[in-house]
Amino acid sequence: MILVWIHENTPFLYSMIFWHVKGGLIYMKCSSKSKSATLRKMKKYRFVYIMLIPLLLYFCIFSYIPLFMGLIQSFQKSKLLGVAEWSGLENYRELFADKEFMASLGNGFVIGLGTFLLTFIGGLILALLLNEIRNKHLRSLVQTTTYLPYLFSWTIVGGIWVYLLSSHGLANGFLSALSVKPMQFLTEPHYAKLIMVLTGAWKDIGYTAVLFFASIVVINSNLFEAAQIDSASRGKQMSKIILPELVPTMKTICLLGIIGLFTNFDQVYVMGNPAIIDSVRTPLLYIFEKGIVRFDIGVATSASVVLLLVTFLITLVFHHLIFKKEWK
Amino acid sequence: MYLRKNKNQLSRPARLLNRFMLIILFISMIIPFMNVLAIAFSTSKNSMVPGITLFPKEFSVEGFVLIWKTQNLWLPFLNSLFVTTVGTFFQVLLSALVGYILTKKDLPFRNLILSFVLITMMIPSELTLVSIYSLNRDLGLLNTYSGLIVNGLMSGFGIILMKNYFEAIPQSLFEAAQIDYASEFKIFFKIYLPMSIPGLVTVGFVSFVSKWNSLLIPVTIITDQNKFTLPVVLRSLIFNSTANSGTTFIAPNAIMAGIVISVLPLIIAYIIAQRFLVSGMNLGSIKG
Repeated sequence: MILVWIHENTPFLYSMIFWHVKGGLIYMKCSSKSKSATLRKMKKYRFVYIMLIPLLLYFCIFSYIPLFMGLIQSFQKSKLLGVAEWSGLENYRELFADKEFMASLGNGFVIGLGTFLLTFIGGLILALLLNEIRNKHLRSLVQTTTYLPYLFSWTIVGGIWVYLLSSHGLANGFLSALSVKPMQFLTEPHYAKLIMVLTGAWKDIGYTAVLFFASIVVINSNLFEAAQIDSASRGKQMSKIILPELVPTMKTICLLGIIGLFTNFDQVYVMGNPAIIDSVRTPLLYIFEKGIVRFDIGVATSASVVLLLVTFLITLVFHHLIFKKEWK
Repeated sequence: MYLRKNKNQLSRPARLLNRFMLIILFISMIIPFMNVLAIAFSTSKNSMVPGITLFPKEFSVEGFVLIWKTQNLWLPFLNSLFVTTVGTFFQVLLSALVGYILTKKDLPFRNLILSFVLITMMIPSELTLVSIYSLNRDLGLLNTYSGLIVNGLMSGFGIILMKNYFEAIPQSLFEAAQIDYASEFKIFFKIYLPMSIPGLVTVGFVSFVSKWNSLLIPVTIITDQNKFTLPVVLRSLIFNSTANSGTTFIAPNAIMAGIVISVLPLIIAYIIAQRFLVSGMNLGSIKG
């Protein structure tokens, strides 16, 4: 099914890969009409190429080669020394039989999607609220404080929240002030996912708001003036001018969110203690534990391949749904 | 005038509600930080007392002394500082170089190179972790500082941002310099680099933050305790404090002091970079 679908959409696939440089390859072929002109230019830029080669080699080695290496390793029996043996789909069979992996897929999806949705909506609302503040100092104060957690690593943010939610932390301080009996937040598997989502959103909301706010600021002010002349209320202006103008930013943020959907590692690595780790283990943490800690390279790389494929497919579907109009 | 002012603002109750919501959000953001600061500057006895602490009861730096001297946090701190600074320097320089080369419109294969760089931005490189480990092992980069520097040395983001920045510089400047027989290198270093300081600062800031915060790569390629970076050590401190399996008990004030120490360079970098950030970020996000 999927293969047929991909086959039908091959032209679209190409355009997706090169959507930034629209038709880059085609352009290149057309523009170099005469070979001698190209050669002359290449000669002119020979030192540039010499400089570029090591830099492009870097991308080859650290971005492209790992992809293919992972693909190859996933079909091999993992061995620490000696020549690797081919083992066909053995690793994949083992992977899909592993309950831990299936659980991690679910966890990663729930935590990733939950955090993303909360961050997206919260960031949008925050940006809209900030835009209505005329007092510059208040605005930059709120903007900076909400943005700060984004700068900090998960070791910092995770450390803060692990402490706040501990038995002698701030959260239980509030609870006891309300005379509710103290809770061990981070040892309850039921709340674990929710806590991850909330802390994730707490960290990223300011950054998303900055992205939205930057796109609100550059909206052509003529639009607002025209709306004023037609005596549209501020609420109307928001829903009819600001939100539609933000659609491209929303698409980009969604796309970046999807690419990063399964890359959550730091958060659960810091905050996931043995009591809750089974309900928050993300796919990347699974790969780390399997491949780096236990050296089961075959299964770990096959998990990588599966996740890359899933990410790619979701991106494709999303792209097909959202950017559809632009291709017609 | 009156009409205009009125129409361009929310009604009075809505404005009040708006401020109220922002203040709530602001408080929810600031209280955890205040709590952390207060605990870090408390005595270890006071830091273990449950309750709402927003200011230290007794001001003390014993947490800082404990974490810095007894727990030897200075070593991972210096490791992190070294790796981050060197990595950031090279990332800025190389991003600017490649970005500058990619502004040459008549460079053959320019679009091919550009898409080559852009596609790397579409690959979630974290997912290839195990292969990256094997790669580092084959290149002999395990347990080395160069391994920490080289991994993630270049990013598509930095290159594209610099390219966009350079393209905003008027072409006439380039031509004028060429008439004066300035070499390409001279033009790059004397004209393009000084004119794009906001872009350089933005790339530098982003790479500084991501390198300083990097946790996945260090835990993957470093097993030598003397080369641990700050996030790795902090994480094990935090983890031991929750797992109740730590060999030595470390009071919360020391852990919070460690967090404050690791936040400081980020805050300093942010204060330095802040003036340039908004203009730089916008350029990257809109055109890229």
